This record gives sequence, structure tokens and C-alpha cells, in this order.
Amino acid sequence: MSEPGAPERLARAAESGDVVLAGRSISVRFGGLAALEDVDIEVPSGTIVGLVGPNGAGKTTLFGVLSGLLRPAAGRVELMGADVTNRSPQARARMGMARTFQHLELFHDLTVRQHVVLAYRVRHAYKRLWSDLIDLRGWRRPPAEEDERVDGLVSLLGLEGVAQIPVAALPLGTTRRVEVARALAASTAVLLLDEPSSGLDTRETEQLAQVLRTVVETEGVGILLVEHDVGMVLGLSSMVTVLDFGRCIAVGTPDEIRVDEHVRAAYLGDAGATNGSAA
Amino acid sequence: MLQFVIAGLVVGGIYALASSGLVITFVSAGVLNFAFGSIAYAVARTYFWLHIQRHWALVPSVFLCMFVLGPAIGALLFLVLFRHLTLSPTLVKVVITIGLSVAIPPIVILLFGDMQIALAPGIAPQPVHIFHVLGSSISMDQLLVYISVVAILGIGFIVLRFTTTGLGVRAMVDSPAMTSLSGGNPFRISLAVWMVSTFLAGVCGMLLAPIIGLSAQAFTGLIAAAFAAVVAARLRNLGVAIAVSFAIGIAGSVLQYWLPPASTLTTAVLPSVPFVFIVVFLIYHIVRAGKVSEGDGVGGPLDRAIIPLGGARLAASAEAGGGGVDPRISRWAPILGFAFVFILPTLLHPFWVGLMAEAVAVALFMLSYTLVTGEGGMLWLSQITFAGISALVAAQLATRHGWPVLLAVLVSSLLVAVLGILLGLLTLRLGDVYVALVTLTAGLLVEGLVFTRPIFLQQGVGVVINRPQFANTDKAFVYLGLVVVVLVSLLIVNIRRSTAGLALNAVRWSETGARTLGISVVQMKLLVAGIAAFVAGLGGAFMAMQTKVALGDNFSVYLGFVFLTVLVTVGVRSCFAAVVAGLSFVMLPQLLEEWLSPKFVQFAPILFGIGAIQLARHPNGVMVEQMHDTGRKLTAFLRRLSGHGPGQAEVAEQPEQPDQPATVAS
Repeated sequence: MSEPGAPERLARAAESGDVVLAGRSISVRFGGLAALEDVDIEVPSGTIVGLVGPNGAGKTTLFGVLSGLLRPAAGRVELMGADVTNRSPQARARMGMARTFQHLELFHDLTVRQHVVLAYRVRHAYKRLWSDLIDLRGWRRPPAEEDERVDGLVSLLGLEGVAQIPVAALPLGTTRRVEVARALAASTAVLLLDEPSSGLDTRETEQLAQVLRTVVETEGVGILLVEHDVGMVLGLSSMVTVLDFGRCIAVGTPDEIRVDEHVRAAYLGDAGATNGSAA
Repeated sequence: MLQFVIAGLVVGGIYALASSGLVITFVSAGVLNFAFGSIAYAVARTYFWLHIQRHWALVPSVFLCMFVLGPAIGALLFLVLFRHLTLSPTLVKVVITIGLSVAIPPIVILLFGDMQIALAPGIAPQPVHIFHVLGSSISMDQLLVYISVVAILGIGFIVLRFTTTGLGVRAMVDSPAMTSLSGGNPFRISLAVWMVSTFLAGVCGMLLAPIIGLSAQAFTGLIAAAFAAVVAARLRNLGVAIAVSFAIGIAGSVLQYWLPPASTLTTAVLPSVPFVFIVVFLIYHIVRAGKVSEGDGVGGPLDRAIIPLGGARLAASAEAGGGGVDPRISRWAPILGFAFVFILPTLLHPFWVGLMAEAVAVALFMLSYTLVTGEGGMLWLSQITFAGISALVAAQLATRHGWPVLLAVLVSSLLVAVLGILLGLLTLRLGDVYVALVTLTAGLLVEGLVFTRPIFLQQGVGVVINRPQFANTDKAFVYLGLVVVVLVSLLIVNIRRSTAGLALNAVRWSETGARTLGISVVQMKLLVAGIAAFVAGLGGAFMAMQTKVALGDNFSVYLGFVFLTVLVTVGVRSCFAAVVAGLSFVMLPQLLEEWLSPKFVQFAPILFGIGAIQLARHPNGVMVEQMHDTGRKLTAFLRRLSGHGPGQAEVAEQPEQPDQPATVAS
């Protein structure tokens, strides 16, 4: 379900400069192949923006460009209004961008809580990466505000029961929530979710969707959601961007996307679109 | 000049066979065989034994060694060992082959005796016939190398290109999983590949023996050159590997033509040829692709899907390690262990205290592996070289320049830390296997280029380095060493408990995940590389102080292999395991000699090698996992005593500091 009045909120956010992440005229080429051609996308705060498209449409490439893992051939990436096109992924992370991965990129030796603690400290106490080695703070109890934030996130994501367990021992659905908790711990302004329902069953997918709604409401972050499960995207997002063969073929509300001829043609072929069997 | 090119083609041809063997095993079985040189040595030594010592005729000796023994070793290794490791992480396989490279030479010595063989026969009839072509001489041995190389590479090309078996091998290279699902038989293909690879190792050994003599260490030179070609080929391109092998052989030979004969410069420059090739090709690959990783282009989506969680890491998770052990036991077990070691010198005979002095110095060195491999997840094979450099520099500063010895040790270790950071910078964009290859080659380079300098060598006796006055006796030196070991262990534990420790752990498991979290992978890798090199430097200087002489020969890369195998056998992530490993390395051969017979000294490295082979089954080390098991039983016993049921949730009983993993390994 999309939030009521979301398009208006989006429009207001864009007008007020509340767009936390934007890709402007992004183009990426791999040798002779144009993976992305002049793509624009905006993610306002407190909003879920969906990014869909058939296989090979360029979704993961766009994700890579936005998060800094890939450099575009042309175009620019803006994070909180600043041009970060040439900034490294870790620099973007420290500015408030976080992402999850289709193939989990968790740290298997660390417990759920340690994931959140590490993300929190990288954002809020980066000096501790070095100062702990000298002042032995690792042996002392962490500050109250750190405990409060970490425990709050663990609780928000429903991870209290497994907080002290290394993630290697957890089921996939739980580790997806760990990734989200870790991302939020860095006081994230914008969260990029890459196929978060990949490998989850229907119940786990619904649980995750509920978690994402809660996160947007309570944390006010902007979320860019790449997902194969079009139903999930249309149900969650306020705005949806559709890619096909590296080009943006549609931008609109879920209702607009549902009836868009180009989108139906991309997913079902021209015949499907003609027959009216919409996605 | 032509004479040198002819000689270069001979050596290059042998390198081409070696690199072909390495590439086909890597692409089809995912194993970069560091034991290739040891297998070559084993076959060549067997040939020498049969043909020279047992007076067998040439043809049956050659046939038996080349066509039966070589392939049989490959079949045995695959059937007993590597077929069970298909899904093991790449680094585990690498360490296992290092274990094999340590275990095989002493087995050969046990079988055939420890004879120094500088001149070994080739596969040509004696006396070796000499041909004269275009004013140059070509021996029958050289001619047979050409024929062997052309025949083997030609047959290999035809088989790979035009036969069903070749198609199967190429399919395996693309996707082992899909080959299996398509009705192919990966088992048979892998078996065949292993047999071919060790057949090539045997051929290389028999062809190389007349050129370099017969010693296990000499064959590491073969590995270095072949590895350089393999790096150039990005571990996968057979054609490039063969071409670069010839180039290395010819370059080395032609350099001898240009450089003054029998000069120290010549002997110093020649070992650097493979390293130069490695550096040039790595720079080329990095500029072209941005990063060089052994995982590039390996397998299809299905293969990636069935790769075990955690990819290429060496040690298991804390859950698989110390999970289920009462935190109090985890905390006190290593403390009690250290306390016991502190008491030992007061209980032992002075002879054993002397051995303990050596053991403590070795333990100190091994803590560098605990850091770089255990904590950092990187397989650096140049740690022993850092130790050697530090020992040589400390000896120069203390003995030649009159510095206080401990200050000299500290400064030399800091210098080595800088070298570690520089090497870390060089290897930042490389995958795990490439890091192992580059550090190995760098170690071999320093061994040949630096350790042999007259200023360090001092005509083979090395440079004197005395112990500090207050630690002149063995007992006092043991305690000095133990204090430093404890301090370094506390440093490691402090790193683990710090935010940097969490970040290091993050980088170890997922560089991409760490980077997108805001962690600088570069900083973390350089941190651990620098500290580990510093600790290796301390260890090397202490090893030199223990023997009171700093000599490069005591810090060979091969010895580093042995140290690594001992440590992974005991436990690569535990500080106390480093102490046990040091004691085992020094004491076990002596105990075997005392209790059994001097001949059994060779059993120690065999046991260490076999221990490293157990890594796949015991990723945290045999001793550490035994301690975990004992800890779990003790925990269960204590719970029963206190009235708690065995099903009590372990999660509820965590250490006071919930941000740190609980493990006996600390």
C-alpha cells in the first residue's frame, strides 16, 4: 500500500530541496554496452521510492553508481544536495548513505548487536577506530547513548532474541533485518535496499515490508528499493521508477505505473500489453 | 648469446610445464598447488635413488617415475584429500598445499636418506652427448627438455581442444556445478587433472635436477618462476602462462650474458626476475581492471550460489569456535596456560630451558601470523622475511654501531613495520591468493637479493647480536621473551576488543560490506599489516638474540612455511596457541629424538604438515578446537553442578561486554 498523499509529499520535498539522494543524467557503459543511458532518479526523505525493471534493465548498475561502487561515464550523484559523484563508498556512508545487498554482505564472526554497534561507531565515533587502541575504551562499558540507540534499533527490527548470536548462525530472513538495522545505525538519511526479499518466503517478505514501513515512519529515512517482487514494490513505494535496457521508461505513483503501457510492454512484451494482462 | 638463449629456452620450457600444471589444477579444482615444487622434488629424488643408488636402467627408472609415480601422487592427493575439499575456501586449500609442501620433503628424506646431491643426472643416457648447432652446444639433456615440452604442450593442446575429455575439462573451468548437472563427471575429470598436474611436476623435477641439483629448497625457485607466470595469466590463461614462462627463462638466461659472470650482482639480480614479472603484470592487470582477484570469472551463478557462506576466509566463526563455552572458562583458560608456561623454566633441566628460549622467540614470531592471518584474514608468506630483515638490522645496529640491543630491536622492528605497510599498499587491490603469491615472491626476492649481501652474510657466519646483559642466561631470556609475548598478546586482545577489532573483522568477511558502512578497508589492512610486520620483526630479532647471531639462512621462506603449518595446526587465532606452537616446533623434534631415535626427527615436520592438512576439518586449529570441546564439557558439568539444565539458552549467559565475541582463542 502506498502512503496517502505521497505524491504531494514527494513534490513538496523536491520543491523544498528535501531530496536526500538524486542521480542526474546517469550514463554507464561497459565497453560497447550502454548499461544506463541518461537516467534520472530522486529519493526524498521519509519516502520509499521503488526501482523496478526486467532482468538486465540496469537496476543493480544504477545502485552501484548511487552507492559509489561504480563510476558513471556521465551524470552526477547528489547526496543531501552535495555532489558526491567522485566520492568513495565509505565517504558517502559517512555522509548518511547506507545500502544492503542482494547477496548478503554481513560479517560472519560478529553478532547481530556488534553489527549495529560497529555501524553506529563508524558514523558517530569514527575516531574510536584508532583511539580505542590507545585509551583501552574497548574494555569499558560503551556510552549510554550508544547502548540506547543500538538497543532501540535491535528492538525496532525485532532482533532482541538473537542480538548476541553471530550472524553466520541465523536464517536468511533474520539476516536481511540485520542488514537494515546495521544500515540504520549509521543515522542514515537514505537507505538503498537491493532485492531485500530475495530468498525470503511470503511470510518473511511481509514481515520485512512491515519493518520497512515502520522504519520510514519512525526514522524518517528515504529508501530506494530495488526489487524483483513488483507487488512488494508497488505496495510499499510512494513513487516508482521503471528501467528497461538501461533507460528510464516510466516514473510515477504505483497506480500510474500499473497502467503504464511502456511498463506492461517491458514486462510482458507488446502482445501482453495489447491483451491488457498487466503486471 | 645464442648459447644463453638456448639455455633460457630450456629453463623457460620447464617453467612452462610447471605453470601449466599449476593453472590446470587451479581452474579445474580451485587449488593453487604450493606443493608443486615438493612433488617435483619427490619424483626427482626417487628417480635419483632408483637410477643412481639402486642402479636401475635408465628407461625403467624414467618410466616408473614419470608415468607411474608422478600421476600416482596426484591420484592419491585427490582421492584422499582434495576431493573432500571441493567447497572449501580457497585460502584453506592454499594452506593445505603449504602443509603438503612441508610434509613431503621429510617423507622423502625418511625414505631415501638425507644426502646432499649437487649434481643429479637428467633423463639423457650418460655420458651426455653434446650436439653442435650454429656454433652453439646443445646437450642431450637440453634436447630432451625441448622434445618433452613440445610433446607435452602439443598433446595437451590437442586433448583440450579436440577431445571429449578436453571438452569436459573446459566445461569444468566454466562451471563445475553445471558440468555435474549436465551429466558430466567432475570426479573423473578432477582426478585426471590432478594426475596430469603431478605428472607435470614429476617431469619438471626430473628435467630440472641436472640444472639446480636435488634439494627441496632449490625447487622453491621453480615455484617462484612458475607463480610469476601464473600471476601473469591471472591464474587461468594457459597460453599466457606458457608464453611468460618462456620469457622468464630467457630473461634470466640473457641477463647472465649481460651481467659480469660469478659476481655478487649477478647472483643478486637473477632471483629478482620472477618478482619483476609479477609486479609488471599485476600493475598491468590493476590498471586494466582496477582489482585483481582469484574469483574473477570463476564459475557460473550456480557455482557462486553453492560457495559456502563466508567465501575465502580461513578461520571459522566464533559460533563454530568458542560458542557454548562458559565465558569464565574462556577467560581463565589462556591465563592458566600462560601461568603454566611461566612456571616451566623453574621445573625443567637447563638443556630444556635452552630449547624453551628458542621456543619463546619462535612463539613471538608466530604471533605475527595470529595477527595478519588470524585477525586480518590475509595469507602473508613474507612474515619470516620481515623477521630476517629485523634480525639483520638489529644486529648491525647493536654490534656494529654500539646501540643498546633492545633499542636496536625496537628500531629494526619499527623499520620492518614500515616495510609491511609498503607491501600492504602494493597488495591492497589483490585477492587473497594473489596476496599469498606476491608476498611469497617478495620473500624469495629478499632472501636472494638482501640476505646474501656480504655485509649480512659475513662469509656464512652472520653478524653477532648479543642478548641484553640482564637476560644473558637462558632462563632470564625465556622470561624476557615471555614478557614480550604476553605484551604482544595483550595488544592483540586489545585490538579484538576495540572498535578497530570489529572493523577488522568486518573487512575480513566482506570488504564491500565494510566499505559501504564507511570503514576504510585500506586503513584496516595497513593497520594489521604494519602491526603484524612489527611483531614479526620482534620475533626475528629475538630468534637472532637466542642464537646470538643474525644470519639470513635462518629466515628462509621455507622455514616460514613450516612455522605457518605448525601454527594453523595448533590454532591461528589464539595467542596462547602461538606459544604452544613455538614449544611444539622446538620441543617435538627433540622429544622424538630422545624418546625414539634420531631418525624420527623428520617425523616432526611431517606431523606439522599433516596437521595443516587438517585445517579443512578444524579451521580453528586442532588444539584450540580440543580446548573448545573441553570447555563445553566443563561448562555442561558446571551447569549440572549449579542446577541449570543442559538446555539452558547460551545466549542468556554472555560476557559482561556484549560487544566482543567470547572465545577461548583470546
